[in-house]
Amino acid sequence: MLQNRLMQVTFDKNSLIIDGKRVFITSGAFHYFRTPGAELANDRFMKLKAAGYNTVDIYFNANYHSKAQGEYDFSGIKDVRKILEAAKEIGLYVIARPGPFINAEVNAGGLPFWLLKNKNVIPRNKIGSEYHYSQEYMEFVSEWYDQIIPIINNFDNVIAFQIENEYATDDMDEGYMHELYQMARERGITCPIFHNDAYNAGLWADLVDIYACDVYPYINPNQNWKQDHFCFDTLDNIEDNVRSFKEDAPIFIAEMQGGWFDKWDGIGYKKMRKALGDEHINIMTKTAISQGVSMFNHYMAIGGTSWDDLACDEVYTSYDFCSGIDEFGNLQPNFYRAKAINYFLQSFGLENTGERENIEFKQENIYAVRRKDYENDCSWLFVRNMNQSAFHASKFILQPFDMKIMTENLQLNACKIEFSDVEIFARLKNEKDEVLFMIADENANIYLEDIGLENSTSEGKKIVISGAKNDYDNIKYEKDGKTTQFLFISPKLADKTWVLNNKVIFNADFVYSNGRIALSKTTEIAYFDLVNGFSKKYFKFQEHSETLDLKNFEMTFCAPEIDTYYDYSNWERASGALDSLSVGKYSEFIWYKAKIPNFLEEITLSARHLFAVYINGKEVLNRNSYKYEKLQQIEETISIPLDKTILNKAQNELTILVQNLGFDKGFSGDTNHPRGLVEFSVKPNSKIDFYVQEKFSIERGDFRESENPYLTKLSTTFNVEFKDNIVFSKYLSLENFPYDRATIFLNGVKIGRYLKNNKNQTLQEKFYLINTFLKPQNTLDIIIWEKESNIKQPWDFKFEMKHVIIQVGDERIHQLY
Amino acid sequence: MSIIPEFLMKRVYKKGSLKQTEDGVCFDLKNVLGPGFISGFSFVKINDAIFEADKVKFLTQGSEIPAEAVSEENPIGFRLGQEGTLILQGAKCLRDGINQIIIELMNPEAGKVKLFLSDNFQAA
Repeated sequence: MLQNRLMQVTFDKNSLIIDGKRVFITSGAFHYFRTPGAELANDRFMKLKAAGYNTVDIYFNANYHSKAQGEYDFSGIKDVRKILEAAKEIGLYVIARPGPFINAEVNAGGLPFWLLKNKNVIPRNKIGSEYHYSQEYMEFVSEWYDQIIPIINNFDNVIAFQIENEYATDDMDEGYMHELYQMARERGITCPIFHNDAYNAGLWADLVDIYACDVYPYINPNQNWKQDHFCFDTLDNIEDNVRSFKEDAPIFIAEMQGGWFDKWDGIGYKKMRKALGDEHINIMTKTAISQGVSMFNHYMAIGGTSWDDLACDEVYTSYDFCSGIDEFGNLQPNFYRAKAINYFLQSFGLENTGERENIEFKQENIYAVRRKDYENDCSWLFVRNMNQSAFHASKFILQPFDMKIMTENLQLNACKIEFSDVEIFARLKNEKDEVLFMIADENANIYLEDIGLENSTSEGKKIVISGAKNDYDNIKYEKDGKTTQFLFISPKLADKTWVLNNKVIFNADFVYSNGRIALSKTTEIAYFDLVNGFSKKYFKFQEHSETLDLKNFEMTFCAPEIDTYYDYSNWERASGALDSLSVGKYSEFIWYKAKIPNFLEEITLSARHLFAVYINGKEVLNRNSYKYEKLQQIEETISIPLDKTILNKAQNELTILVQNLGFDKGFSGDTNHPRGLVEFSVKPNSKIDFYVQEKFSIERGDFRESENPYLTKLSTTFNVEFKDNIVFSKYLSLENFPYDRATIFLNGVKIGRYLKNNKNQTLQEKFYLINTFLKPQNTLDIIIWEKESNIKQPWDFKFEMKHVIIQVGDERIHQLY
Repeated sequence: MSIIPEFLMKRVYKKGSLKQTEDGVCFDLKNVLGPGFISGFSFVKINDAIFEADKVKFLTQGSEIPAEAVSEENPIGFRLGQEGTLILQGAKCLRDGINQIIIELMNPEAGKVKLFLSDNFQAA
């Protein structure tokens, strides 16, 4: 266990102050439950750190750890201590967000299912938006805090602690939130406590230490943010807005848009990434800084996978979120834009700036702000162009949808930047020498004054340096024994330039903190530090990519539950309501079986979300009841007429299989909204005794084959070679997959739901084979819940399975220095 | 289902702005929540009188927009801080004292949004 050295975290209106030093908090959100295991967390944290983030934001998901009242599992991949240790060892601060409600598009917003089953519990002390205090709910909160806070308290790198999440009620009664605050303090939380206001309305600002809020300008995938020039209005006014609620704390955007989640009826992450582009995060982050924000958290910075039953009903398996670090751990263009801003902040701080000066330009859709920087004794000019064409000002040109931080009156060792619209990427500095890494731009210039000797040969008072430069072009000045060097890199090279531990490494795909680099192709690497200057190293190796065509599938019918002779006498008998909370079955798949008499004329039922009805082993209905219209979930109740051809025995066997895609995430709906079989009646009215069971038979270890053709398991095996010097991500590709519904298991772990929505679209065709669950020899099971007319026996499936492949992307690790 | 709680939505209505006009009623709105779009006006109800979209106009930033013209395909932007007047024609339905107002409109992100408001009115 790490020793806890008491770290003092205080704040004033400008910034957080950690051990007496001002720190600009650059944080990225990460879900350990969607990126399971310490090894994957370690990989993602290294990438976060390499991108210049100094903090990781972590939601703690009570539902993930607690499957029964009083039971909390923090072992194996659920060991959050190992996650926190990884963050600490890599040198990241932590923002701890243990809810108890977290939203995060997780099942039931992170509240345990057993809690929702208790009818006396009012989740979050509210029904709809009405406040109802529930002692039983508070007992759970107490129990959860007793578990999670002692773990958090073992780590001295925790800099802020959040209570609840995006909470509001009609009367804004403070009782619950005040109690949460007290509970955290009583359990030893010493760092600042905040809440995350989803509405930028100052909610709970007086109750917490630091007011924080969400900012998501792009939440409608059909919206073109580039045409909505006012979509950043909230951000453009955030300083004045927050200051009207809280004067004495830093401005904190606890969730600043780093991407967005896609839904079952969405547009797919590929299109969403294209819509957001890399400009969005650049504009968001620079605008926030221009507004005096000194704490931000890119939500999400790291994508994840809603494996098992993690997802709420809104989202499919991938929670890529268009993050900088995608679901597979790969770096995306928005990662590089965030990296450049983080490096700039690392170099200059900006955590103590003066009054904002709004600058007006004649052209519309131009946002411009100047801030005085007291630490660097200069000013920064922030300019954004939301027009379709370039903006020409007297001293600079700004491309469409670009935003720049321009430098004014920055005194350097051997010269002064009077003005520069060539952006600063990073600065290395010691007492004598400094190097400014500048992003080359043929339309931009650096205006220098008070310059010293240029390359020891000439001297001048004022000079203009064009930003039209090639990679590694550099200019050096010397004055009074000190030097200032400008070194230019193109935007393309900037993406692959890394600043770590006072070293700058060029042209690497990724750089680890211990001098190792990751490369995907033969490359020449340059690296630089102030003592040794430039060095170069050439890495040559055989490039490698792999596609594994999966062909040898074994096929079995795998739903013995539907068979008429199936013995379900050991299943639980349901009494009363049949929904999943009432019967205590919370998994995705829930089975209902009952005997029904032959005189019934009709069955009427409503189930969430997909279901099938079988009578005497034959399917009589298969339905997808997951429907949204105009953003409202459509509830449907369906009647099935029965006759003697269906009810052909005196006692007939009814089997219903319901797929629950997840409970409500609880943001605007209620987490305990029923799932499973939510309505059931028969005509004429008769008492039907149901027996219930959850999960597929293979998940329960019931390996019997079945005679019915409605659920078929396709199994295959594949090998993975693990090597110390190779990092990889693998995914299963189901492009052109011929079926509508499938559930994918890797070594027995459910890793994906393939589902065509009601528009007959499949938004996810690539499923991450999460490294944590991979072994040298692997089994892949795909259960198809569908009966095509041409499927008479399991073997018929094989003719349809033509495009199931595993693709691998890998990078080799090399020691650079 | 709205993604913004009702008590916050109510802040969009400018209290005390309810007025009788020559052939109806008007009141003012100000967006204090955040930038967004209105993709449809379903109706406005004042006490017992219902004003369907063909009787509703939105006067904002110097232009008068018939509610009927607002749709999913033709949404109108409503900026943070932007003000506007909702003009309802066809019935003089205000009572002295408290009047109950319901506005139902559509938003691309939240779907159907229903605002329950009340305002005081005193005839001159």
